[in-house]
Amino acid sequence: MDLGPLPRILTVILCVIGIGLCFWVGRVNYKRVNPERKISVGIATLSSMAFFKLLAFAALFAIPAGAVTFANYQTFEGVHAVESCERCHVMRPMATDMRDPASTTLAARHFRNGWIPKDQCYQCHSDYGLAGDVEAKMEGYRHLARYTTRTYDEPIKFKGRFHNDNCLKCHAGTPEWEGVKSHQTVRARLEESSLSCLNCHGRAHPTRSARTPGSDDYDRLMGEEGDK
Amino acid sequence: MNDTPSSGESGRVSRIMPDDFSRREFLWAMGGLGAATAAAFAGWGVLEAMIPEATADEWHKAVCRFCGTGCTIKVGLRDGKVVDIRGHEDGHNKGVICVKGSMLRSLPQIEGRLTKPMIRSGGKLKEASWDEALGLVADRFKQIRDQHGPDALAFYGSGQLYTEESYTANKLFKAGIGTNNVDGNPRLCMASAAAGYTQVYGKDEPPGAYEDLDHAECYFIMGANPYECHPPLFERVMRHKTQNRRVRIICVDPRRTPTAEHADIHLPVVPGTDLLLLNAMAQVIVEEGLTDDDFIHDHLRFSDGKNSVDFAAFREFLKDYTPEKVEAELGVSANDIRRVAFMFATSRATMSMWTMGINQRTQGTFLNNMLNTLNLITGQFGRPGATPFSITGQPNACGGVRDTGSLAHLLPNGRVVTNPEHRAECEKLWGVKPGTISAKPGYHAVALFRAMAAGDVKGALIMCTNPGVTMPDRERYFAGMEKCFTVVQEIVPDSQTAKAASVLLPAAVWCEKEGVFGQGERRYQLIPKLIDPPGEARSDLQTLVELAERLGYGDLIKAKTPNEVWDEWRKFSAHSKYNFEGITYPRLRELPGLQWPCPSEDHPGTVRRYVPGDPFVHGDKEFDFYGHKDGRAVVFLRPYVKAPEQRDNDYPMYLTTGRVLEQWHSGTMTYRIDELKQAAGPARFHLNPADALRLRIAEGDEVEVRSKFGKVRGKAVLDDAPRQGVLFAAFYDAKLLVNTAVADWFDPTSKEPEYKLTAVSVRKVS
Repeated sequence: MDLGPLPRILTVILCVIGIGLCFWVGRVNYKRVNPERKISVGIATLSSMAFFKLLAFAALFAIPAGAVTFANYQTFEGVHAVESCERCHVMRPMATDMRDPASTTLAARHFRNGWIPKDQCYQCHSDYGLAGDVEAKMEGYRHLARYTTRTYDEPIKFKGRFHNDNCLKCHAGTPEWEGVKSHQTVRARLEESSLSCLNCHGRAHPTRSARTPGSDDYDRLMGEEGDK
Repeated sequence: MNDTPSSGESGRVSRIMPDDFSRREFLWAMGGLGAATAAAFAGWGVLEAMIPEATADEWHKAVCRFCGTGCTIKVGLRDGKVVDIRGHEDGHNKGVICVKGSMLRSLPQIEGRLTKPMIRSGGKLKEASWDEALGLVADRFKQIRDQHGPDALAFYGSGQLYTEESYTANKLFKAGIGTNNVDGNPRLCMASAAAGYTQVYGKDEPPGAYEDLDHAECYFIMGANPYECHPPLFERVMRHKTQNRRVRIICVDPRRTPTAEHADIHLPVVPGTDLLLLNAMAQVIVEEGLTDDDFIHDHLRFSDGKNSVDFAAFREFLKDYTPEKVEAELGVSANDIRRVAFMFATSRATMSMWTMGINQRTQGTFLNNMLNTLNLITGQFGRPGATPFSITGQPNACGGVRDTGSLAHLLPNGRVVTNPEHRAECEKLWGVKPGTISAKPGYHAVALFRAMAAGDVKGALIMCTNPGVTMPDRERYFAGMEKCFTVVQEIVPDSQTAKAASVLLPAAVWCEKEGVFGQGERRYQLIPKLIDPPGEARSDLQTLVELAERLGYGDLIKAKTPNEVWDEWRKFSAHSKYNFEGITYPRLRELPGLQWPCPSEDHPGTVRRYVPGDPFVHGDKEFDFYGHKDGRAVVFLRPYVKAPEQRDNDYPMYLTTGRVLEQWHSGTMTYRIDELKQAAGPARFHLNPADALRLRIAEGDEVEVRSKFGKVRGKAVLDDAPRQGVLFAAFYDAKLLVNTAVADWFDPTSKEPEYKLTAVSVRKVS
């Protein structure tokens, strides 16, 4: 669900309220609070001590929890964007190539033709369903750990097995896909990802050799050609 | 707060910590921080362990076993077995392969592999040891040579043998045994292309490369169906087309193949008449002034096949081929002829592409001449995207057979047996006595099998091919194989050819042995040995080396390993314009192939020939057709002659044969791989619905197809792809041996049979 900037705004508002409340609660001298005094909050009437305790609870727990929830939502949703992926420079060649109108990679063709209108990296690299979303987050965390600890070699290499579900979730079932006889006879292999869709349909991204620092294409793929 | 360090006692901590932050609290905080860090790293570790298992444990660069595209692949291994195949992203194919290549993983494990030598005794094949089998072969071959002369022996090889194997067989038979009876299935496949190139440029093999597919603006595809037969090439064409709106595809084919369906213009010519189209296009180009006159003046000469003529004679010759004169016989309108001629000549870069529809013809050499001519007279040559390009059928017909000269009239690197200087050169390079190599051309494929049937050839070694299915007029030649002492090295015991074998030897296949493949664009690539062959199966090279030893030619065949043979061969090539001395095994292990000419180990290989970048182009010439002494390419005046097979009342339809996407050649390999077998299904006769209606044939009916050569029965399928009056069948299915009915007429120059055209009758059986 796309909530636009709402989570971010709510996060900021909650943070401001939370900080204000903390400051207020911190300044309250509880020894001088008159326990007999009643404070009316909407339809409820509370003793002043209960009110301040609730206020403290809200300041210290409820509002921070809310702020964290909205912030995390923002984080989880925000990392779907291509811009989020290409913040790591090793990913930049993929994004540059994807936006290159002259490129013939699968990523570029899907982008150019608007077949995947947004969050293109995420759409092809998260398996179907909730589990896919979680797995993608876990994989993202692994990438983050690798990147921040510099435990990777450039050009980076896809590890493990790319699940064809990412292709089939859109293509399977379409008349074009179902009409190809070869798809039917290797369907089981495609579904278990033991036969790569890329075999017949080509590279998804620039080659490793093009992404190797010092290669003829490296500066262009890093978007640095104009800097020279 | 008593244990809180004072600012004086612990300067550093006290400066950053509040006064009321105790040591205990500090340690708790540090502990918590450490625990959080440990948890983060532990989570990372768990995630690293959770990465989905890759499909293979190790990957090795290799080459696809099937068609002449020669895709660079990665072979995935696990537990000593091939478990996955991927396109190699750094290969010329840019990571793209096809469904056949994808299922190559199953090839070494196909059921029923032949694992032991067998000797026919009492009409049945019985298991034997290698020693017994090769001992028998050597004894019989010696006996035949001594009693009937060396020309009673023959080698029938394949465009699927490794280069080292074809080279060794050629050397053994021509410089050892002393016969030029060395031919093979490339005669059935690429001989017309080879003859066409050699006549036009003085040298065989294409001037262009696959890279031209990325630059052409007009693809003129004639007698080829790359969508099904060379899918990675057509994928490349379509990608380029979707990127460039000016790109046009013209397809000339009597069938509306999937390639034709993707074309902008499809010309469904009447089978056998397409030289009319090429000559008519040339006529339009000349009359409309669409020729490149400077190119013609500077780089071409004209010939009628015997004598030199001039451009005016060419123009005069073409007057018989105006579009209006040819349209009725050709089956394509004059308007369409003019349209494609204009597109061909005026596009920024035109790439003509052809294969079996052109080569497997009695006018195959002429057709090849004219396709080259159209590119030459319009100056569509030598620039990126502008080139004539014959696509290759087999993975190593070019490098393995054409370059090594493993055909009956050839010697290595374009030399011919009838030329005394060429023979002397080869005798010197091979270190044999002058006069060793016979001056008499050997039997070409059709003649060889006829000689076997006639008893003139009494002993033959057949390797890596299945002539029991692939020869035209099949039954006639199968009888020849049965009559002869036929030694067959094969991967299965039940191929059609194995059924005629006197001795059957188990063959290693693909990555069970090491060697070099050379595909359609002059690129050599290495296939490493990755797995062991089953049982006692051996490489064909091992068989040849040991047979040479037993026949007494051990001193001649000194190179006994693939690397040793390759080194001998590449040094041999240095004495020619096919020079690839710089293509060494270490370079091939490292790189996804190299294109020859490549004369030194620091040479990057040659993408386009006869233009700067080709190491043999002299000085600063813009074009140099160095295959001819005058540096010019030759335009031939090639008259159209009607094919020997013409429809009449008795045989009112044309039968044409071909291939389907999921199967390759005679199906010995691909029809034993479940996924490919299911995808292709049994072979059928494809009949236009209008013809079917006239003949009262319904889908699935059993039909009999009869020609002057034989008859075949099979199921009919109604398909509007063939034009009316044309019947199509593929030849991969041993249950529909369509070549039984195919005519064995052949091109008088290339000697390649005309598989694409047999007059037949069709009738419903049930």
